[in-house]
Amino acid sequence: MTNPNPFPRRMSSFASANNGSRPLRSAGFSHLLNPPPDSGSHGSGASSHAGAPFSSLDAGAAHLGNAPHGLDEGRRSHRTSGANLPSFSRAFDMFTSKEPLLAGPNMTYSGVGSSASVSKTGFLSPSYLRGSGYLEKLAEQHKAKLMADRETTMSKGSSGTVFAGNTGNTESRSVTLHTKLPSGIHRGVALNLIERPPASAELEDVVSPLPTRWNSDDKDHTVEVFGDGYEVKYTGSKGSEHEAGAIRADNPMPMQCGVYYFEVMLLSKKREENIIAIGFETRKAQLSRFPGWEGESWAYHGNDGKIFASGSNSGRLYGPTYGAGDTVGCLMNFRTNQVLFTKNGEELEIAFKDPSFKDPTKSFYPAVGLKRPGDHIWINFGQVPFQYDIDGYMKKQQKMVTDKIRSTDTANLAPPLNDTELIQQLVLQFLQHDGYVGTARAFAEEIHMEKQALNMDADVPVEGVNIKDDEDANNRQQIRRAILEGDIDQALIYTNQFYPKVLEENGQVYFRLRCRKFIEMIRREAEMNSSLQEAGVKAKSTSQPRHHTGNDTQRTYSQNPGGEDELMTEGEEEMMDTEEDGSELRTGNPEDETMAMRAAGVSELCQDALEYGQELRDEFKNDPSHEVSKHLNEIFALMAYPNPLEVKEVAHLLDGKGRVAVAEELNSAILTSLGKSSRAALENLYAQTTVLLEDLRKDGGDGAFVTIQNVIDDIPKAQVN
Amino acid sequence: MDLHRRVQSQTSSTSTATPSKHAFETRVADVKSPKSDINALILDYLMMEGYPKAAEKFQKEANLKPRQEDPTINARQQIQHAIHVGDIQKAISDLNELDPGILDSDPHLHFSLLRLQLIELIRNARGYDPSAAINFAQEKLAPRAASNEQFLRELEKTMALLIFPADKLQPDLAALLHSDLRRNTAAQVNEVVLQRHTERREAAIRQLVRMRAWAEASCRSKKGNLPDRIELGLNGDDNGNDPMVTT
Repeated sequence: MTNPNPFPRRMSSFASANNGSRPLRSAGFSHLLNPPPDSGSHGSGASSHAGAPFSSLDAGAAHLGNAPHGLDEGRRSHRTSGANLPSFSRAFDMFTSKEPLLAGPNMTYSGVGSSASVSKTGFLSPSYLRGSGYLEKLAEQHKAKLMADRETTMSKGSSGTVFAGNTGNTESRSVTLHTKLPSGIHRGVALNLIERPPASAELEDVVSPLPTRWNSDDKDHTVEVFGDGYEVKYTGSKGSEHEAGAIRADNPMPMQCGVYYFEVMLLSKKREENIIAIGFETRKAQLSRFPGWEGESWAYHGNDGKIFASGSNSGRLYGPTYGAGDTVGCLMNFRTNQVLFTKNGEELEIAFKDPSFKDPTKSFYPAVGLKRPGDHIWINFGQVPFQYDIDGYMKKQQKMVTDKIRSTDTANLAPPLNDTELIQQLVLQFLQHDGYVGTARAFAEEIHMEKQALNMDADVPVEGVNIKDDEDANNRQQIRRAILEGDIDQALIYTNQFYPKVLEENGQVYFRLRCRKFIEMIRREAEMNSSLQEAGVKAKSTSQPRHHTGNDTQRTYSQNPGGEDELMTEGEEEMMDTEEDGSELRTGNPEDETMAMRAAGVSELCQDALEYGQELRDEFKNDPSHEVSKHLNEIFALMAYPNPLEVKEVAHLLDGKGRVAVAEELNSAILTSLGKSSRAALENLYAQTTVLLEDLRKDGGDGAFVTIQNVIDDIPKAQVN
Repeated sequence: MDLHRRVQSQTSSTSTATPSKHAFETRVADVKSPKSDINALILDYLMMEGYPKAAEKFQKEANLKPRQEDPTINARQQIQHAIHVGDIQKAISDLNELDPGILDSDPHLHFSLLRLQLIELIRNARGYDPSAAINFAQEKLAPRAASNEQFLRELEKTMALLIFPADKLQPDLAALLHSDLRRNTAAQVNEVVLQRHTERREAAIRQLVRMRAWAEASCRSKKGNLPDRIELGLNGDDNGNDPMVTT
């Protein structure tokens, strides 16, 4: 079905609603922002925007402007004369609205799903995979690699390499990441190394990366890669009947996605018969033959609308023919072992169904085959929004799985309890386990009331919900309370009183508590500072002696390797400034005097913090652990900021959430020392589900479509005070 | 102090039991179950299912605050309670007060409640004059059943309770007299109210528990490498101590 005016359709795919997120680097929008037709520009200027699909096209497309050409490795912005705007130019903001890009018939566009993107560090996250377990895992691996890189070399900032997120060619689906995950990275984004226990990079848990570019090492000699790795052109001479130039992507379609999708747009100038094949194959397929004609190769051919599966020369009729200006997509559903194609955003029928798609020893690479000089295609691996509503398709698959789950019976989990009783027990046990004594009691009462109400036989008494008067739970609750209120000293007193051995035997928890005390001191000071600042008084330092102490400590700090030096000078300057301001405080005005007292109070706090900090450093200076010294440096750096609460890079350290984390760690340690399980059944359930889902995800089955995070996200967010 | 070693010991087996552990258990032990998630699940559960006192206490003890205050929680508990004790009339009037359009918007729910009310009348009338029950059935239920096949069948079944003695009831009739019917109806009412006010029907924890059951069943059907039985750990500690809660 030919589209009378192919261009608006195409524009629609790239200009979908990009809701305020960073403009797309590789969207090929640049041509759309180019000067209008009267400039007659056509192929001038060096546009190097990856993913820009428009080479010189027919008349009517003059306004679409510059041809993307040449391989461009970096992400440099180009400020050539008016023609090309850097990808992050404000001009791209027009794509964040839904207004028509260009006025005129047929030139409005509609969004098909949220925007895709490639992050600054080269991490590709296609829209339909957002929120999936697979992408989560891949992102972790990516972050881990970045951290490892950063730690071994000087920080490269955000430029990264284009291929940072992926490890290039792979022979198989299994391990592609050969770096050991640095300690502290675990199943969950490693925001704070200290908080996570070290992980072992178990091979089975590594996921294979997404295809991101054409592989110029895996192609026939008659085709060439252009346009930042997304475009392919047939550069050979016109070949014989059976010859063709094929090329494969850098990575195979990963099963763990559950569903994988890519789209190819045909950019060839010629309107005559283009013989192009789009599909996928293993590396066994010969590159001098069209995909589909060789063994282990499947494709949809544009000249006759036939599909060819794994080495059949005749193929079968499938769908419409396609040619220049068309966009053809290929969807692999690992859950159902089915493949279908799309044309210009419309879903066609199921093309192939083959259980071998799930064979873990096989790797299927996105592939195309070209034949005529002038054949030119561009591929979308998800770096920009798709024409076809793949997000919608994905949602349907997810719904099928969640519906299945919704109708599951839970009777086997803990017989003879039914759903309701089971959950009541899980919740009650957790509350007790973690020492939420008041809640446990209140809940038990309410359950009891319920049972009584339902009890219709007056002769059968309802037994009370008997909570063992748990002195231990009370103790632990007191300890928790103290920490949640920020009173670490009190918590330490209680702990030593009730559970004297625990801190001795749990060095890490002890360390964390001590650090937390320091953080709380800084926090108190920062809070007082900001309230004083609001009252218009800077209150850092008011006395000479203190200033000296400050300098001394700072000098000690500057012995640290790495980035602290900058911070130190900042802090020092700050202190010098406020020294002068200090004199403003003594005005004799009573209001000012309260301020002065408060300011003095703050500076006292500051002093205490410094002293404590030194103590802390002395105590742990001989600890060989890298994490320890790293964490210490992190928190000491807080001192350099007059108001760390406002500095977002460090504010998270002061967050109340930190209190919760420390409280939990201590609680766990105490429970373990008492010989009790450190986890309640509900937590076990959570962890078990995580592991089970990981296993279910491996072959792209149902498990790939659901995550625990989806369930949690359903809950309107609660906030920690 | 060698933190590495300590950390190692802390993250290893949570169980003090058997020395040889199934690979699955080891992986589970390594996975974190973030407290923030668990706390969110619990608070959500307490609020959705209608345990206001527990919810309040928990918010305090765990330092949480829900984003939206839920004004319906007390009413929902009250209504559920009324249904639990069999005072359907009160439940219906409370329900109308809380949400006037709700019963009109859901004829099936309305009928279920009325039928439950009829059952209570029948239950109270056992051995005595059943005319109150019969009048009620004629007035309130018959008109609705006239135009609805399913309602008619349910009504007929319920009326059969008047005929047969209590100890000789077929299972499907006996079920009508069982407290589970009250419990389930109360839960349904709760869900409908929630749906109208929050666009969610049930607490997230329910889906998580089902996910757990489903995931295990799916894994086993794929012959995954799992131990014969995966315990949740509800029944006491690994040491086999008494459970903390007895009912």
